[in-house]
Amino acid sequence: MKKLVAVGLASAMALSLTACGAKEQPAATTAAAAATEAATEAAKEEVKDDAKVVVFWYDESDVFLGFVRDAMNKEFEALGITPDNQFAANNQSTQIDQINTAIAGGADILVVNQVTSGASDTAEDILAAAGDIPVVFFNRPIGVDGSETPVLTENNTVAFIGTDAPEAGHMQGEMIGEYVVANFDAIDINKDGKISYAMMKGDEANVEAIYRTQYGLEDANAVIEAAGKPALVYFDAANTDCYQVDQGGAWSAAAAKEYMDTNFVSYNEANGNMIELVICNNDGMAEGVIASLQEKGYNTGDGHVVPVFGVDATDNAKALIADGAMTGTIKQDDKGMAAAVANTAKAILEGATPAEALASLNDDRFSIDAEINTKMYVAFAPYTGE
Amino acid sequence: MTNPVKNMQRAIADYKQMNAKDQKRYLTDMVLNNALYILMAIFVIYTAIKQPNFLTLGSFANLITQVAAYLPLALGIAGCIVLTGTDLSAGRVVGLTAAIAGVFMQKADFANKMFQNLPEITLGWILATMLIVVLIGAMIGLVNGFFVAKFSLHPFIVTLSTQLITYGIILWFFALNGNNGQPISGLSREYKDFVGGAMFRLGGVAVPRYVLYAIILTVVMWFIWNKTTFGKNMFAVGSNAEAAKVSGVNVFMTTVLVHTLAGAMYGYAGFIEGVRAGSVAASTGLNAECDAIAACVIGGVSFVGGTGKISGIILGVFVLRIIFVALTMLGVDSSSLYIIKGAIILCACALDMRKYLVKK
Repeated sequence: MKKLVAVGLASAMALSLTACGAKEQPAATTAAAAATEAATEAAKEEVKDDAKVVVFWYDESDVFLGFVRDAMNKEFEALGITPDNQFAANNQSTQIDQINTAIAGGADILVVNQVTSGASDTAEDILAAAGDIPVVFFNRPIGVDGSETPVLTENNTVAFIGTDAPEAGHMQGEMIGEYVVANFDAIDINKDGKISYAMMKGDEANVEAIYRTQYGLEDANAVIEAAGKPALVYFDAANTDCYQVDQGGAWSAAAAKEYMDTNFVSYNEANGNMIELVICNNDGMAEGVIASLQEKGYNTGDGHVVPVFGVDATDNAKALIADGAMTGTIKQDDKGMAAAVANTAKAILEGATPAEALASLNDDRFSIDAEINTKMYVAFAPYTGE
Repeated sequence: MTNPVKNMQRAIADYKQMNAKDQKRYLTDMVLNNALYILMAIFVIYTAIKQPNFLTLGSFANLITQVAAYLPLALGIAGCIVLTGTDLSAGRVVGLTAAIAGVFMQKADFANKMFQNLPEITLGWILATMLIVVLIGAMIGLVNGFFVAKFSLHPFIVTLSTQLITYGIILWFFALNGNNGQPISGLSREYKDFVGGAMFRLGGVAVPRYVLYAIILTVVMWFIWNKTTFGKNMFAVGSNAEAAKVSGVNVFMTTVLVHTLAGAMYGYAGFIEGVRAGSVAASTGLNAECDAIAACVIGGVSFVGGTGKISGIILGVFVLRIIFVALTMLGVDSSSLYIIKGAIILCACALDMRKYLVKK
């Protein structure tokens, strides 16, 4: 009986609560809406001191973006802005929800690190949701093979700051090619006149990963063959993909290490079919590969070093290169990226159009796309130690 | 329950008859049993004070849109929980069906269209696609249900296996026809309108069509749960499978059907997911089941089995989305978001179990 009473009372309470909520909401809403409108009107006159900058990151655990975030927070602080960082846990729908919520919460500018890289439709949807609120996309590409062009040219509230996706792959390939040409015999442990390689791909669906996987090898082989040497051979003839991919799409060291550990079981020096060179989509994966190699007694400073290449030039990778455990990486400019994004956002908040904002930066590290004036690249650079 | 005013009057009369000690215990019980709602009310008020935009019509439209997106999955998975089981494959089924729907619904003139010889995008083809993905979802659910019922395997193991298998199929699917793992993009305007087209605007924020679909689904599920023999059998099997069997309920069929129905709901969720995200990637749907299970548990669909209400599920989804929207608006970092979410699920479960412990 008591239970019945409890249920009855509770439901009555809940009902009355919702009833109150429903009745009072519209009145409060209109008042609040009017207030916000008035506030935005007033704010347009001058730059707001408390401008609301919301930065959307695809994931919190990405190592390189961690450095970018660190630098970006400092850049924004120097400009007198406190950014609000949101993380989507590698889920595009979550990010869309966050963006809609931030818009409802009165954001002044959206800085978006889009989860699904290469999906111009998603970028289009984000712009549609944002309406008049400017959007700065950064780091992760918003289109493949030019599909982002209409997004960037047909809207006047958008800018993209990133890297030229294939550039890192081209640079890495060239670096590998030159290194192999110079050290061919030292790399070739089993002396069969061919170098077998392994390739670690960060994410099956990421445009940068796809380009790096493709050009990292193609450009290396172009350089090697031009020097009259045989092209690199994938270590496992049965794998026609010619790469091993982090199935979680997280570019993780753990995935790379597991693959290398497994590869070692059947491909090792004793069997005469050892993997002689490893190309990785990023430094995180390179670290995993090196950890695996070191367990087997390679890349420890003395003894044989299997050349391992990454991209990003994280602090860990720089340390590994200094120790001689890693061979090379491509420096992705975290501080440059952060400075570009923060200053562009600031300029847009001060009333510049996205194109004007990008043009105003004037820095050697950045270059604006030859055809699209709302698209800017932050340069890569090869890194093999200081 | 049908007459809240009368109930309340009776409750007050009963309360007056109790002695002081009972009154105190009665009040404590009431506060504890409703702790979640009381906390949510405080939380909403706090957010509204800190961030006035939280209580605007636009914000409300944003909230119900999100609820409508997460509700179908929770409605599906709830059946599995009523049977004291769970379903870990839900997220990946959403991913697979979203990918298939996405490919079927690509623009005819899209450069990276995966399959060229597909019908033109008409209303008929859109409905057919919806039916196809719902059937695919239902088929995976059928497999889940069959293994659970036939071999008495725990759903955790069965659905963990189908989760992995489904993800394998997703990766394979994304590599088809030279797509090379790239996201499926170029969704046709007609498809986007059908799912996400604005019905009307609230405070300048569009309310998409899938809000209406979610309402329809909720009504249908309410009917299935409360007004059909199948629904009653489901609760019977959930509370005590042996007893249900003795009283003539076909436990095998009920278990299979509950999982199949759940799968069908995931298929529908996949159908709208692509439009929501603007494109479909191999990672689409990842961990979606976690939110759905959490919503059910918060809403009182108990892992003890045999209990749960559709209204509870709706409430659970609302609670999770309110937390998300409010914390996002307050600019709380995501690490805290996870901690708060975890704490709420834990509290909800503990309070829920408390009721059963008292019973015993």
